[in-house]
Amino acid sequence: MSSALPTYSTTSVSGGSINNAPPSSVSAVGATSLASGPLLVAEPALFGLLIEMGPALEAAMTGGAREAVFFKMEMLGYNVGQRLVERLAKDHARFTDTLDVVKFICKEFWMAVFRKQVDNLKTNHRGVYVLQDNNFRWFMNASGATTLQDATQAMTPFLWFPCGLIRGALAGLGYATVVMAESVGIPQCTFQIKIATGR
Amino acid sequence: MSYYFAIVGTRDSPIYEAAIGNPLKDDGKHLHQFVLHAALDFVDDIMWTTPNMYLRVVDKFNDWFVSAFVSAGNIRFMLLHDSKNEDGIRNFFTDVHELYVKSLMNPFYEVNDPIDNPAFDLKVRTIARRYL
Repeated sequence: MSSALPTYSTTSVSGGSINNAPPSSVSAVGATSLASGPLLVAEPALFGLLIEMGPALEAAMTGGAREAVFFKMEMLGYNVGQRLVERLAKDHARFTDTLDVVKFICKEFWMAVFRKQVDNLKTNHRGVYVLQDNNFRWFMNASGATTLQDATQAMTPFLWFPCGLIRGALAGLGYATVVMAESVGIPQCTFQIKIATGR
Repeated sequence: MSYYFAIVGTRDSPIYEAAIGNPLKDDGKHLHQFVLHAALDFVDDIMWTTPNMYLRVVDKFNDWFVSAFVSAGNIRFMLLHDSKNEDGIRNFFTDVHELYVKSLMNPFYEVNDPIDNPAFDLKVRTIARRYL
């Protein structure tokens, strides 16, 4: 197995791909493909892949600090988010305002990736947005730890990928941001987006 | 009926160019790039006034028109043409945009990379033949 993990938002249309990449149709859950009819992937398969990503990356990065693994997961999410957003925003009107962009992330983007919308959006109108998801789909079936604190602690590394996803989506729309995530207790999690004002 | 089409990335450098027919033949091919680059300023002005992606004609050069289309990720698609054909040009832009999004799905392709795939070029010319 090569050392680089494959990114898994590659989608190809059933008319053959444009460049020389071999067609591999994995798509985010619920995203509509550009061919007729949506391409769907089984959600348990996606979960399995995501859960495996953590230990696999740790094994692949020998001698590196844990931060390197988080960085890699975030970069994976970044690439996925960039491509996904261009596709999802294709038929949407162009965005005039930062708030519109974040609302698009909360609604359409979240719906396409997690099959639900963000539960709560807060902003201080100065470029900081807080997205709260009370029932984060990727944490819903996590089990095995005895206390809520342990479970939250164990799942925290997996929040880096959604961070990258949001950051990539915003970068794809032209906004440089910093995204952080935290969870007070699974399945709840909070993402904080800081957009550089005065773009 | 000749056209010059270019896809301009987010950093204002062209990532794809195609001359269909032979526009501006007497002035030299370098003038195509110059005209489209100058029209970028107009695109930047107009794109904030409308939520549409298709910006219609943004600039005029002698008797040539420049039409533009801006994608969600701020990629500009610009077409230099001499005849007014709004519907055809809009369909052309929409189809090329779809084609661009498909090539973006390739994990080895980063945003703002030049597109030098002959299959992409062939498809663009087919779309141009269909709508323009």
